[in-house]
Amino acid sequence: MRLGRWAWLLPLPLLAVLGLFLFGLGELVWSSFAGPEGFGLDRYRQFFARPDYIDVLFRTLWVAALTTVVSLFISYPVAYFVARYRGRKDWLLVLIMLPWLVSVVVRTYGWIVILGNRGLLNEFLGWLGVIDAPVRMLFNTTGVVIGLVHVFCPFMILAILAVFLQLERQLEEASMSLGAGPVETFWRVVLPLSLPGVISGVMLVYLMSTGAIITPLLLGGLRDRMLGTQIYQEMFQLFDFPKAATIAVILTVTAFVVVLPLQWLERRVSRNLKGAA
Amino acid sequence: MSQTDTLLAIDRVVKTFGSHRAVDGVSLDVRRGEFLTLLGPSGCGKTTILRMVAGFEHPDSGTIAIEGRPIQGVPPYRRPIGLVFQNLALFPHLTVGENIAFGLRVRRRPQEEIARSVDEALALVELSGYGERRVHELSGGQRQRVALARALIIRPAVMLLDEPLGALDLKLRRQLQLELKQIQQRTGTTFIFVTHDQEEAITMSDRIAVMNGGRVEQVDTADRVYNRPSTEFVATFVGDTNLLSGRVAQAGDGEARVSVPALGRDVPAPAGSLRAGDPARLSIRPENIRIAGPDAAWRVEAIVRDVVYAGAAHRYTVEAGDMRLLVAAPANPGTAPLAPGQRIAITWAGADAALLAASAA
Ligand SMILES: Nc1ncnc2c1ncn2[C@@H]1O[C@H](COP(=O)(O)OP(=O)(O)OP(=O)(O)O)[C@@H](O)[C@H]1O
Ligand SMILES: [Mg+2]
Repeated sequence: MRLGRWAWLLPLPLLAVLGLFLFGLGELVWSSFAGPEGFGLDRYRQFFARPDYIDVLFRTLWVAALTTVVSLFISYPVAYFVARYRGRKDWLLVLIMLPWLVSVVVRTYGWIVILGNRGLLNEFLGWLGVIDAPVRMLFNTTGVVIGLVHVFCPFMILAILAVFLQLERQLEEASMSLGAGPVETFWRVVLPLSLPGVISGVMLVYLMSTGAIITPLLLGGLRDRMLGTQIYQEMFQLFDFPKAATIAVILTVTAFVVVLPLQWLERRVSRNLKGAA
Repeated sequence: MSQTDTLLAIDRVVKTFGSHRAVDGVSLDVRRGEFLTLLGPSGCGKTTILRMVAGFEHPDSGTIAIEGRPIQGVPPYRRPIGLVFQNLALFPHLTVGENIAFGLRVRRRPQEEIARSVDEALALVELSGYGERRVHELSGGQRQRVALARALIIRPAVMLLDEPLGALDLKLRRQLQLELKQIQQRTGTTFIFVTHDQEEAITMSDRIAVMNGGRVEQVDTADRVYNRPSTEFVATFVGDTNLLSGRVAQAGDGEARVSVPALGRDVPAPAGSLRAGDPARLSIRPENIRIAGPDAAWRVEAIVRDVVYAGAAHRYTVEAGDMRLLVAAPANPGTAPLAPGQRIAITWAGADAALLAASAA
């Protein structure tokens, strides 16, 4: 490569983007502290003084946690299956990523068709005779969690799969040759060795769930707002930018309260696994 | 050998992958306490046999029995086997001690017993004091020993070792060969050891099973495999040899004579199952060909073409008739080696050669 003396130009676009991002972030944080009566925590006090906002905050954490846990339980077996699949894995990967070729909005509408009071699922359950009256699965927390799980599962699967693909099959065979049955091999070998992938998947999905907007907007109830939709509302319906900034900062801080310990844990686990595979 | 001495019996086992016969009708009796080596070129089915004994692959036909009981359908975790993989497969999330303790933990042994056994196992493989280390802090040779200790601690009836020394450098390899053999003798465990290194097989084994293309060609002591190969493949795979094609001219008891067109004469060979007129191959090791003295019973003229000094012996390439032969002669400090171009006569004792049926190819 003969870039010569122009090579220093290459990082410029990256620096520009980074600069813009940092500027925006700084502006955001600053505006959340700057009030009409000067610099201070006023906006934060106002936020925490309102029970409905506290509700929104806790609903956000709850939905994110639920989404993460459900995604984990769905993704873990899928990732394991893909990793151990003897045929062509690339097709399975395409299948997993396929939903991403469709816009989130369209997919979310798909869920409305399925989960609605007269949706496919309720009709089916009614036809089976399992239920008499339709189960509310839409415009409440259930709907949001279902929608979010659908959107974020591929990330969780890929995060866990990345670890499984490096996991030598012979480790499981070694465990079995030492007398451990399949269940015991899972608990003693497979699970501990896949923890780094589980933790990164959990962090990823948790972070994305706390900040979700479109899915809760479309599938959540009017009263079941989340922090993301609240910010959206403050900005685009009420044009209260400083309040939106305050909520955004609160959202970021609460997310990090969960993610930082996870990150510490991941580093610890990974260090223990050094030299794996 | 009486029947009771057989610990592991492999009987006419066939295993195909797709259309490829990886194991093509192998029968093998492994005796209690013996060190048996599966020796053969890459892809001949050694690993597949071990994996079938361990229970990770299943024979298409044939049976495998341990202590006379067929183990078909017994899952790997209920078979009395210990396994050492080529890549060792140590658990990276566990310490050395925890790796070794694994088999006992799974068996829910009491804590004190586990601690004691682990200490003993560490001592056995000369790693006392390494129990707290993490696996990635060990050298290749040390990891090797951990893998061995981990498998031995469950006191398996049969230890299966799949080229466990393959990744080590030559010096360490030699040292571990000795240690492995000593450990095997001290514990009295039956070892099935896989290698494609014939020297390794010869130094370590009580018996060697030489494999080729999914079949066992010969099962014998190292000495007999080397000196009494029963097929052409065994003769060429184990050590260097000269192969002479010809026809059995005369078959008596004790000695036969084979006419070798390339040499233009009959040469002596040990009597075998071949009859006069049968096509045959004669295998004669380089060190069994001697420079003919005046009292030699027979001789053939030859010209020295090439000399290589190889440690304790000179290795000559000589031309005799229409063929080239390898000759190894001990290096005598007193006498000068033969020089290229020198005319000599060579001979060998019929009993030192091996008479083999000519292979179809
Ligand atoms: N799971 C499998 N699927 C398909 N083919 C296989 C499988 N395992 C082994 N084979 C084939 O079976 C043959 C024997 O393999 P095996 O691993 O037993 O050889 P090996 O003697 O152990 O060789 P090496 O010395 O290289 O380890 C090879 O041709 C291999 O390609
Ligand atoms: Mg192999």
